Amino acid sequence: MSQHVLLNSIEHKDVKVMTHRSAALGDNLWYSVTFPQEFRSVQAHYPIFFHKDTATGQFYAVALFGFQQNDNVFLSEQGWSASYVPLTVRRQPFLIGQQTVLEDGVERQQRVIHVDLDHPRVSETEGEALFLPYGGNTPLLDEVGEILEVIHHGLQDGQRFVDALIEHQLLESFTLDIELDNGQKNQMIGFYTINEETLAGLSADALAKLHQQGYLQAIYMTLASQSNVRDLLNLKNAQG
Amino acid sequence: MMQKPITEIIIVGGGTAGWITAGLLAAEHNVDKGVLAHSPKLNITLIESPDVATIGVGEGTWPSMRSTLSKIGIDENDFIRQCDASFKQGSRFINWCKDPQSNVANSYLHPFSLPHGHQELDLCPYWLPHAEQVSFAEAVCSQQVLTQLGLAPKSIVTAQYHFQNNYGYHLNAAKFSQLLTEHCTQKLGVIHIRDHVSQIINNQHGDIEKLITKQNGEISGQLFIDCTGAKSLLLGEHLQVPFLSQKSVLFNDRALAIQVPYSDANSPIASCTHSTAQPNGWIWDIGLPTRKGVGYVYSSSHTNDIDAQKTLFNYLGVDGAAADKLEPRQLAINPGYRAKCWQNNCIAIGMAAGFIEPLEASALALIEWTASTLAQQLPPNRMVMDTISARVNERYQLHWQQIIDFLKLHYVISRREVDGYWRDHRESNSIPDSLQAMLELWRYQTPSQQDISYKEALFPAASFQYVLYGMGYITQLPNHVKPSMQQLAQRLFNDNQQRTQALAKNLPSNRELLDKVAQYGFPKL
Repeated sequence: MSQHVLLNSIEHKDVKVMTHRSAALGDNLWYSVTFPQEFRSVQAHYPIFFHKDTATGQFYAVALFGFQQNDNVFLSEQGWSASYVPLTVRRQPFLIGQQTVLEDGVERQQRVIHVDLDHPRVSETEGEALFLPYGGNTPLLDEVGEILEVIHHGLQDGQRFVDALIEHQLLESFTLDIELDNGQKNQMIGFYTINEETLAGLSADALAKLHQQGYLQAIYMTLASQSNVRDLLNLKNAQG
Repeated sequence: MMQKPITEIIIVGGGTAGWITAGLLAAEHNVDKGVLAHSPKLNITLIESPDVATIGVGEGTWPSMRSTLSKIGIDENDFIRQCDASFKQGSRFINWCKDPQSNVANSYLHPFSLPHGHQELDLCPYWLPHAEQVSFAEAVCSQQVLTQLGLAPKSIVTAQYHFQNNYGYHLNAAKFSQLLTEHCTQKLGVIHIRDHVSQIINNQHGDIEKLITKQNGEISGQLFIDCTGAKSLLLGEHLQVPFLSQKSVLFNDRALAIQVPYSDANSPIASCTHSTAQPNGWIWDIGLPTRKGVGYVYSSSHTNDIDAQKTLFNYLGVDGAAADKLEPRQLAINPGYRAKCWQNNCIAIGMAAGFIEPLEASALALIEWTASTLAQQLPPNRMVMDTISARVNERYQLHWQQIIDFLKLHYVISRREVDGYWRDHRESNSIPDSLQAMLELWRYQTPSQQDISYKEALFPAASFQYVLYGMGYITQLPNHVKPSMQQLAQRLFNDNQQRTQALAKNLPSNRELLDKVAQYGFPKL
């Protein structure tokens, strides 16, 4: 269960947040949403694929951490073994909320920080504080604010990126068949990637447009990221 | 002259038939990968009389409509949003088997999905021994259970026009015509003329040469498509192709149609057509997102219009002052079809070729078949047209014979006793010989694909199975079953049951899915 509330310095002055990485804190994810702005960092460690949101049917990019549900091969007793953790993982237990405010008598939507009080990261005893004893945000909370802001814009841009891929018929579904050293087989379905043949056949106009939008780079980083599947497999095999 | 390529196509009539035909012809000949050619091969003109209203009650489609829309190039999200469409997974027949007083559970589904594993094995003979425990539809198909739960045939992650369970649509016919008109004229280059055809002129060979219109003068063409509805202006009135009445087989010749609002904006939307037997006909009940379309189709030889109206209001549960406010639309049906749909250089599509009754919603399906057949087999010139029209006519006649047999089947195997209408349907002189012979055969074996006399028939053997056994028809048990086949059948029955349970857990309701379509839309892949 989750309990999302608007974060404020009075009610939540004693709230602390644990920032280390562990399965108990909800990091046993096998993928997480990502977006072109962080592709450069993400593609250095994780394969980037596309997946449909089960609630809306809309496509979004994901960074893959494992081969089945609750299985994150980067996670061990020592924490998360890659130097970059995607922002949609790092944002936990916070999320963006909308608030209507009156500004000079005009109603305006403002983005605010919500916190999930039932999230395992939230504690009154352990972890880092969000507010300073005499008021003001801790550096952690400032960072969270920045992360949420980047995610907000990143997801909007990610939507445009996906729309462009669909427009040029660049998405195709694929099935990833995994065989581990111990003989265990795994089939991953429901993931999509870039169709390289269609990409190679795009007109100069279409390529120029994608380039202008900044998406051509994102497309090639997505393709390059596929080699990380091998790294994931090695990590998985090393777990025995 | 006879070898001149056919390029000038004139469609008369702007109902669903006319626009579907225009759309399929344009998509097949003038469009490549969704892009209209700079100099299209065909010039397609549709003349719509501003004086004649379209019927606009054809509100149920078959799954074939998905491929028709996709071929024409209409986005499924646009279609659902603009035509108030909902998902239809088949027809549920209520009170058809027995008199409603008999207090026996009395409804069955004719689902759109073929029986599970139909490519491996025909499950019907293996189900027969279990007829007492489980209905045929439930044993072989998920849709029996899913429609009872009001669930949708797919989820929001399923791509446009793809499905988990086969589906067609319920739709607002007037809005559908509007969408087709806009799409065909704006995207497919179809020329739309609003004018009244006052005269039809032949050439010396008896072909139609041109039409004289009130405002636009002469409009000449090489191929004329009659979509003028029951009037059959070109094929019937002008070319005098005889009409073959079927009133002695299928008696319904009147309909009373009405639109009914939901009591609550969030009322569930039925995911199949409900067809409820009445003393002198049956009532259709179709759920759109915004309202229901309900109508009583009946035989004027067995009841009168006043009693029919009472029957309809009784079904709706209204009487007194509330009933006085309702104004159902009265429609006359002349059940039957033209001996040919294609004569000389004129082909009729839709009611201009024929119409029997809305049972099983075959009207739109036959429009789609005729229009796509024409689009695929468009004669290159007049010289070879008769060769193609002959084979289209042959297939057209087979389709009508099958439709008549299949519709009549619903009445013939009924055991309703109280009303003369139902007893008359069982009089042997009203039953076609072909159906009579099949019914005799099906006493000893279940319907099989071999019983369907031609390829790509409108109704597969499974449709006959669903209706026969939905209505409790008795077929002798097979006297020998191979054990290996029995095992395969058991596996398929189990598969179907597991699949049904999984879908029942995961699929959204019809209304939930339609709300998501309105908000997000189905993905393109």
